[in-house]
Amino acid sequence: MRIRPYFYTLSFLCVTVVLSIAIGSVFIPLTDLGRILLGWLNREPFTEPLKTFAFILTDIRLPRTALILLTGAALGGSGAAYQGLFRNPLADPYLIGVASGAGLGAVLAMSIKWSYSFWGLLAVPVAAFLGALLTVFLVYTLARVGKTIPTTNLILAGVAFGSFATALTTYLMLRSTGELHRAIAWLSGGSSQAGWEPVLAILPFLAIGLGVLLLSGNALNLLQFGDDQAQQMGLPVTRTRTLILLAASLATAAAVSFSGIIGFIGLIVPHVMRLWFGADYRRLLPLSLIGGASSLMLADIIARSVMAPQELPVGIVTALVGAPFFLWVLRRAKNQGFW
Amino acid sequence: MFRKLLFALLVGLLLAGCGPALTATPSPVATQLPATAVPSASVNPSISLTDGLNRSVTLASPAQRVVSLAPSNTEILFSIDAGRQVVGRDETSDYPSEALSLPTVGGYSGYNLEAIVALHPDLVLAGGVNTPELVASLEQLGLTVYYLPNPSTLEEMYANLDTVAGLTGHETESAALVSSLKLRVAAVDAAIAPLSYGPTVYYELDATDPTKPYTAGPGSFVDLLISRAGGINVGASLQGQWAQISLEQLVVANPAIIILGDSAYGETSQKVAARPGWGTLAAVQSGQMFPFDDNLVSRPGPRLVDGLEALAKLLHPGVFK
Amino acid sequence: MLRIENLSVSYGSRRVLHNISLELYSGEVLALIGPNGAGKSTLVRAVSGVIPVDSGHILTNDLSANRSNDFSRYSLNLLSLSSMQRARCLAVVPQAVSLPPAFTVWETVLMGRTPHLNFLGQVSARDEAIARLALQKVDALDLAERRVGELSGGEQQRVLLARALAQSTPILLLDEPTSNLDLHYQVGFMETVGALAAQDNLAVLVAMHDLNLAARYASRVALLVDGEIKAVGTPRQVLTPELISSAYHLHVQVISHPFVDVPLVLPGDK
Repeated sequence: MRIRPYFYTLSFLCVTVVLSIAIGSVFIPLTDLGRILLGWLNREPFTEPLKTFAFILTDIRLPRTALILLTGAALGGSGAAYQGLFRNPLADPYLIGVASGAGLGAVLAMSIKWSYSFWGLLAVPVAAFLGALLTVFLVYTLARVGKTIPTTNLILAGVAFGSFATALTTYLMLRSTGELHRAIAWLSGGSSQAGWEPVLAILPFLAIGLGVLLLSGNALNLLQFGDDQAQQMGLPVTRTRTLILLAASLATAAAVSFSGIIGFIGLIVPHVMRLWFGADYRRLLPLSLIGGASSLMLADIIARSVMAPQELPVGIVTALVGAPFFLWVLRRAKNQGFW
Repeated sequence: MFRKLLFALLVGLLLAGCGPALTATPSPVATQLPATAVPSASVNPSISLTDGLNRSVTLASPAQRVVSLAPSNTEILFSIDAGRQVVGRDETSDYPSEALSLPTVGGYSGYNLEAIVALHPDLVLAGGVNTPELVASLEQLGLTVYYLPNPSTLEEMYANLDTVAGLTGHETESAALVSSLKLRVAAVDAAIAPLSYGPTVYYELDATDPTKPYTAGPGSFVDLLISRAGGINVGASLQGQWAQISLEQLVVANPAIIILGDSAYGETSQKVAARPGWGTLAAVQSGQMFPFDDNLVSRPGPRLVDGLEALAKLLHPGVFK
Repeated sequence: MLRIENLSVSYGSRRVLHNISLELYSGEVLALIGPNGAGKSTLVRAVSGVIPVDSGHILTNDLSANRSNDFSRYSLNLLSLSSMQRARCLAVVPQAVSLPPAFTVWETVLMGRTPHLNFLGQVSARDEAIARLALQKVDALDLAERRVGELSGGEQQRVLLARALAQSTPILLLDEPTSNLDLHYQVGFMETVGALAAQDNLAVLVAMHDLNLAARYASRVALLVDGEIKAVGTPRQVLTPELISSAYHLHVQVISHPFVDVPLVLPGDK
């Protein structure tokens, strides 16, 4: 699959998008799908049962597909960026505490009885978003040594703060057992809010974050040689690493604020892309973006189909399906075991 | 290569088009006018209420197609004879048995919006177990949602019955039910009043870790009902509705009766007696350990009174036959 | 081409380089020798801008001027430049250890063009031509499509040299390039470096261990001991028994190389 990686990955993405729109717990026959499409083109009003089907498509499936796509792209892209920044194959977007910070913010917000209003409902996602960013800021500040931010310090500070935040979150969850279900559901990942609002809310942050990442391919390549060599080849290392870290964290924070903590995508997708298409970050980043979107879409389709009408949390599916898949890819690519 | 992908796309569409294996039980789509329920004697031309989330909810006429998102709501609906108006339930609604034949729309780990929409409900009855996000999503999809808040007293539970009755046009049935419930509670109160002895009760919610089990704390219905049934709840001095108690504290409290609210999860008297350190408890030594249907005291519906009576029988077997 | 004036560098509170002054001319190979811990790598890192400098100047010609040794034209203080600008003045050849194994040789060498790429980081035909030429100069063009992880130490070192050459700078700093190579590669590498310095009029500083290799291939030698320059001059001037013995705390003898007109350092007593 050396040739034309974009063609393959984008095609697969299209397939998963179509599947995501076509599959759900309400069975919409292919013929009806076609009729709905024609109806849209001719701007005809619908009668039952097409009316309900069309409504489900536009108001439930389409926004959900869009949210999943953006979330997966954010996780895949920032996962690749983190792996490049830290030069560590175990890095994922939650390495320096984004997940634990977001979880803490969310659970804190859940323990307060907000009024049922526009702002009240935004409390949890906003708190999660802020929690994530605050954590990154704190970890970054703690890890600074003079003008540099040593990688090891970042990881250690991230792990330490992450444990602290997780412990605090667990304590809060135990104290307000009434909200326990809500907290667990949120932490396991999955889109809980319907409609286009979540998509519109996270879009600007993703645009900025992922936009910066897509331009950082070259810089990440250079950083693979170590800070010294990257600097000697002309890269302003500290500034660049900070920028990439912030961009990736911004994208991740936005993604988890509405979708909760979904693991594995950020870790596995970049590795699969690397195994199939090489380690050049100028290509790896966009491909991880696309791959993340398709993988999460696939996981979501499985999550809502396997035990329908019950929905599994997406985070469980990504782990259960992602791990074996990755092991399979790893075995197939034994010969090119380079990271 | 391109052909492979085209093939994959076609397969995908085909699966979507004719793959019932991938989708759930096909949900019924209304193709005819829904059957109307027997009209109640007093019907308001329109119903306007404020629900538990301070939202104002308006119905033009009593709801005929109700989807219940909480087991307590399902029980309430059936108890006021509105069962025929229920078209969908959540996974955990298992009482009464007539409810089991209704199509499901998901549960705690995820409610299926599509399934709910496809049932064309004119009212979705949400409860304390549902999140505000879920209510918002359903509202967003144009559905009418009423959030029934969790009651904290029996009086509030009666009020909930009346509310649901108003929404579904069964005010008479509800009034009758509430009266009979009040009578039964009054009977228990009367029998308890002259008694001077109230046994200490330990009601177990979870004992995954037998050295630190969970019991019903203050503010929970179990606590309320135990006191009402003339007992003293060991967990009353703890914090939170799901309160953790240590084995040491339990030994000090030395309850006279152990009620196993977690018997649905497999806890039995023999298992309790076998737990290390539990043998010192008076209740264990005298064999005063009883399995209990937790649904009778945890679902905020009319069966709470059943629960009260069951507790009273356990606590004062001499008085209640 | 490069003038280091009174350079002092510390690691935290520990001063490692004291008032270093050194001049590097175009067309020559200056070998920086000294015992472990003397500060050779530190000097290279300080000059290339990787570690901060306490005090001192690092001057070079304005790039628009020819590569001349006219010190009156020294106007550019490297310490005031951005990384990008500095990378157009000097390039570093590090030791070939822990290189990212997945990149190909071609990709690696192209990265040397970074300071010359446009804003979007696009590689032009000219960049590719320069990279190709650089590979030719180190005789590694046939390795272009190979992954770096598959190469031998000597090949990797040559690739890093090509990368530095692709950076098209008048100054080259090499940090212990031969320490991990076997004899064959050591000699080959130093011969290439010497030839390039002469042909392309480069100013080359090589921090190295091997005294005899330095004597053979460097036109000048600087002896760095405990962060101070103890001597600078031709190999014969610096590689004397007194200087070397005191620097390395070891009795050495210095004889004349039987075939070439350079000194030969032999450890041990007479």
